[in-house]
Amino acid sequence: MSAAVLTQSLRKEFKLGWGRGRVLAVEGLDLEVKRGEVFGLLGPNGSGKSTAMKMILGLLRPTSGQAEVCGCRAGTLAARKQIGFLPENPYFPAFLSGTELVRYYGKLSGMGGKALEGRVQELLSLVRLGGEAGRRPLRTYSKGMLQRAGLAGALVSDPEIVMLDEPTAGVDPAGSREIRDLIRELKERGKTVIFSSHLLEQVEDVADRVIILHRGQKLREGRLEDLLTQTGEWQVRAKGLGEGQRRELHAWLIQHGAEVMQEGSPRERLEDYFLRSLPERERR
Amino acid sequence: MRESWRRIRAVAGNTFLEAVRQKVFAVLLIFALVLLGGANYFAEFSFQEQFKFLKDLGYATISLTGLLVGLLGAAQLIPAEIERRTILTALCRPLRRWEFVVGKYLGLVSLLGVMLGIMGAVFWVVLRWKEAQLIGMEGGEAGVVQAIQAESRDPRLWQAFALIAAKLFVVCSLAVFFSTLATSTTFVVAMTLMIYLIGHLQSVAREQWLESGEKTVWFIQLFLSAVALLVPDFNLYSLIDEIVAGNLVPWRATLEVVAYSCAYVGVLLAAAAWLFEGRDL
Amino acid sequence: MTREQRLATVGFSGPTAVAVREKLGQGLVLAALGGFRGLAANALMLQAHGAWEEKQWVRVRSALEMATLLQPRVALFWDLASWHMAWNAAVAAERYDGEESETRRRIEARKWVEAGRELLERGTRAVPEKALLFQRLGDLYWQRLADYQAAAACYREALLKKDAPLYLERFVGYALDRAGEKQAALEYFRELRRSMGESPDPARKPEVVEREIRRLENEIRDTSAGRTK
Repeated sequence: MSAAVLTQSLRKEFKLGWGRGRVLAVEGLDLEVKRGEVFGLLGPNGSGKSTAMKMILGLLRPTSGQAEVCGCRAGTLAARKQIGFLPENPYFPAFLSGTELVRYYGKLSGMGGKALEGRVQELLSLVRLGGEAGRRPLRTYSKGMLQRAGLAGALVSDPEIVMLDEPTAGVDPAGSREIRDLIRELKERGKTVIFSSHLLEQVEDVADRVIILHRGQKLREGRLEDLLTQTGEWQVRAKGLGEGQRRELHAWLIQHGAEVMQEGSPRERLEDYFLRSLPERERR
Repeated sequence: MRESWRRIRAVAGNTFLEAVRQKVFAVLLIFALVLLGGANYFAEFSFQEQFKFLKDLGYATISLTGLLVGLLGAAQLIPAEIERRTILTALCRPLRRWEFVVGKYLGLVSLLGVMLGIMGAVFWVVLRWKEAQLIGMEGGEAGVVQAIQAESRDPRLWQAFALIAAKLFVVCSLAVFFSTLATSTTFVVAMTLMIYLIGHLQSVAREQWLESGEKTVWFIQLFLSAVALLVPDFNLYSLIDEIVAGNLVPWRATLEVVAYSCAYVGVLLAAAAWLFEGRDL
Repeated sequence: MTREQRLATVGFSGPTAVAVREKLGQGLVLAALGGFRGLAANALMLQAHGAWEEKQWVRVRSALEMATLLQPRVALFWDLASWHMAWNAAVAAERYDGEESETRRRIEARKWVEAGRELLERGTRAVPEKALLFQRLGDLYWQRLADYQAAAACYREALLKKDAPLYLERFVGYALDRAGEKQAALEYFRELRRSMGESPDPARKPEVVEREIRRLENEIRDTSAGRTK
């Protein structure tokens, strides 16, 4: 079976026009995303993440190189049928309601009739925009609601691949957690998820493999486990040790030639602490 | 083909809905008020003069309203979507770029068609009201009544409507063409109006330089020929003036102008789609 | 270098250069108006009406001539313009208190009538398929210039158009009669009656035509009898 996404030497130059030269946004990008995995595109702002995504989607034409989606050339109808996309800070036609938006995107994807209606209601329930919320105009939606509506729109045609560009940008911690849970759920359903982010700790939670881009070039690529595991060190987390037992353990480690780099009570992540502090119903 | 048409219809329907929800139809109210207000002007003139004024006012107001809605609507069809980035979520779907352009255009001309229909109905009502008023004033003599009704119930008025619609659709397609090149609405409006002006002027220039008998420099001839080919001849639509003047305009002449318009729209949309195909978003 | 000389260097020269520029200037105005010439022409008609009420005949003429430039195919403007010139302005000139000399008043009036005639001549060329302007020209020759032969010719021309009123048929005969061409008038009326056939359309007033035939026959007979005596 072909890879979900495959790029070879993908390059994109933007002409500035009026003799002002060019800007190299992506250079020599080789990328392979396997089917069913969660793939993270990492990098600071301006590293070429969005440009790479747009080339895969066919919104930008590569200056050189190739990109394929499920074996089809990127940008073709066949390729785009396989992808659902949610751009960064998405703007939607403000005059539509949430339901109308998802229905519109379904029609653009070739769906119609009762099948489309059923799918629209199913997705709106999934993203908690069913009922009254779905009938309100998008201009009355909060940022988190817009993000969820966009996600429903991206999923309406049940695509093989879901691409999310900075999906948690500007979203509160609860909403952010929700999106990450959704990504996990999509993976469980066998979808391939490609998402970009510059919020590294959020990527760490969900991604199987990542690529790190900087100024349009690939710096690193691989499974998170392989990239992040510090093989020379070992970490133990234990409960129920008294003060004396801790000192004993420390002495035993020193005796056996280990260097104790850190010891003490572990710190919870601020996000987890924040969510735990909220009332139950606010945690979603 | 059927799938293609479904996608085009989805884009067109969305474009139409956007205009409706932006309350574009409110402008029709102004139109109706202008027409009703103008209906009593020229009251001291003969009935022929009164009808001429009313018809000129009606057609001019319909044309201007349609031009404003069509031009401004078409000018922002694509630049506004790019600026708002709503275009990304549409074009990442299995939707061809030409389908998007055509769908946008069809949505806009559907809106214009509905507006023209409503304005035509209002115009028809005002004409009939004027007819009743004048018949009452003229005393009801058979010959005069017949003459008044010939003015108000002239079937050629629908020919004039067809010509106005054709002209507006060409202007819209010009605006859509420029909007695939431009990043700002102002540029699109300015370029379209410029071509509109040249389109009205080109037949005058052609007549003067090519048909006056004077020897013309070769590059002037080439330039004029290029303009004649590339720029729609908007003077063709002055058949509307002929209709208002009560002169006979065969339906064949009207249909020829409509066919000419369809050809231009086709070429402009094809060019727009071709240009848009290679545009980075 | 003058403007004319500058234009001459780029290939426009001679008297036509002025015409080209004028036409282009006018063309630009027409182009700028786009599809709204009708409104502009109507506004000029209103202006002319206002000027007429103030007896500003030059302004009436210029406003209506501009209207005919904007919409040369509207017979109404030519009709209105010629009426104002050949009737209203001319009569006002004839009655003008500020000019003591009757001769000068008549010359001035004649100038206005000629202006009206010239407008109608141009109008008949601009709208050749309609009877109205030919008819009006005939009326002008009859009522303002007493040239009944010319009036008859104009009425004949008008009758060739599809929208000619039926009564105009008889006007040709009346004009010939007024021109002193009684025999020609009689032959015309006889031919007209013949053309109506055995069951004439009452709208063509065959009884009036028959009456004119009898009257002319009597007049011609009386005239001949008077001569032989």
